[in-house]
Amino acid sequence: MALIRNVQKVPTCWSIINRFVSNEPISKVPDDAIRKSVFISQSTDIYRNLALEDWFYKNSDLKNHHILLLWRNDPCVVIGRHQNPWLEANVTAAEANSVAVARRNSGGGTVYHDAGNLNLSFFTPKERYNRRYNLDIITRALYREWGLKAHVNEREDIVVHGNFKISGTAAKLGRPNAYHHCTLLVGVNKFALSTTLEKKESGIGFTNATESVRSPIKNLTEVNSHISTDKLLTAVGWEYLRTKALTIEDGGYGLIQCQKGFQMINPTEDWFPSIDKLTEEFRSWDWTYGRTPKFSVVRILQMPSRSGEVHQLNLTLEVCNGIVQQVKLSLPSGLVPKDFDKDASVVTNLQGTRYTPEVAEQVVAALGCKAIIPKLNQNVDKSNVAANQ
Amino acid sequence: MARFVTQITKLAVRTICVQDSQFLATASRPASIFKIRHITTSQCVRAERWYTDKHEWITVEGNIGTVGISHYAQDALGDVVYAQLPDVGVTISKNEECGALESVKAASEVISPISGKVLEKNEAVESKPGLINSSCYEDGWLFKIELSNREEIKTLMDEKSYDQYLKSDPH
Repeated sequence: MALIRNVQKVPTCWSIINRFVSNEPISKVPDDAIRKSVFISQSTDIYRNLALEDWFYKNSDLKNHHILLLWRNDPCVVIGRHQNPWLEANVTAAEANSVAVARRNSGGGTVYHDAGNLNLSFFTPKERYNRRYNLDIITRALYREWGLKAHVNEREDIVVHGNFKISGTAAKLGRPNAYHHCTLLVGVNKFALSTTLEKKESGIGFTNATESVRSPIKNLTEVNSHISTDKLLTAVGWEYLRTKALTIEDGGYGLIQCQKGFQMINPTEDWFPSIDKLTEEFRSWDWTYGRTPKFSVVRILQMPSRSGEVHQLNLTLEVCNGIVQQVKLSLPSGLVPKDFDKDASVVTNLQGTRYTPEVAEQVVAALGCKAIIPKLNQNVDKSNVAANQ
Repeated sequence: MARFVTQITKLAVRTICVQDSQFLATASRPASIFKIRHITTSQCVRAERWYTDKHEWITVEGNIGTVGISHYAQDALGDVVYAQLPDVGVTISKNEECGALESVKAASEVISPISGKVLEKNEAVESKPGLINSSCYEDGWLFKIELSNREEIKTLMDEKSYDQYLKSDPH
């Protein structure tokens, strides 16, 4: 990519900037004292890119310097911070297809990424967090480069052709920094997307994990076949640099001259001390699965009795921090005395093991029963051909 | 509208405060009875709840503080959909990240206004995060903490200063 050569650092701009680097409060920093950088990650590993994003969030001084980080990933599914991976994605299918499963730090819903996505992270101090500004940069870039009219809807999703989403958005607000990141669908493998995000009837319920809102999606290439992730990366980068830092106002080429410009970023330990540790944290089972909000898995077991009646038993697995804590059977009320607890704890060596969908099946198999997966508080009727954010 | 709500909240707490400020004067700050009295006469409620510049609040009874987020903060966050609170028993220090509140599309860090050991978390808020929006000063409290250094309260704003602070600057 030949992006860097176009941007010159002009000395006059340096002096203007330096004059304002002082201890004044963030709200007092004038627009022209804020410079911008566009960083392009050279990694396509989701865990490393999440670590890079986290590194900027934790270590940047953004008072006089705003950053746009652009990144792309190998196929992966990324869930929101307080989501349940087994509810949001078909984890088994993902693993079988070498699709990485990752949990990010920001809120929101689940997305699928591959080389046909462009991901953007906008970093500012928390006081200057402005999601609408960032989304407007994207729609303006699409219009300037391709005359493509995209809109920001009431959910602050970018939509085209009515209500087809081309982007999902999420944010992390902290102190002193904040970031807003979003993903743009350029030419995503829609089949892989729907397979990975397919919601299987898992019998998972009784959880307060946040659930994704499923929406119809469209690839930008379907709208305009000239668009590619490379071209979009360049277009959005330039639009970001030519726009003033605090208001959505075009500064033209003059403003671009004052910015720090594009920079390729190689997220390695040499460039970003302790990024390896961050990467391993994002890669760990403890983060991706262990941080799942408490949930239960329910199976209805059918037990034929001597009289020919079929009794139903509820099998419940309680999973906390991704670990199976309790396996309970609740007996039909007719079988137990009135003053007797209907719930019976099942002693099983599966207690304390990491939850996978197979665990429930193993218990069922051990009991020798036929199991039905109940419909719990899931929206199973919604379309699966959708991206969720 | 927001100001109206704040006013109502203040009035509602006023009754509780009269008892508590007496308690504060005798038990916790014996040396500053005069000061407390001064505050009670002028701004009765406002001495009770202490605020950080990042919009957390804390009330203190004896050595136990109750922490939540301010009306301004819940309003800025929008509908909270998930509350991740610190575990009971952990020791946290002032200004440390100790949880997260996720609203419709942002995860916002919860920063402890004070150092100490977490005694209790509000499980009602964990199962019904909307309480933070509907009752940020009462039912929507986040956690209770055993203070390890009472002096830290002095670094926080009382309600009057906090109101001033809200008027002074964009946050």
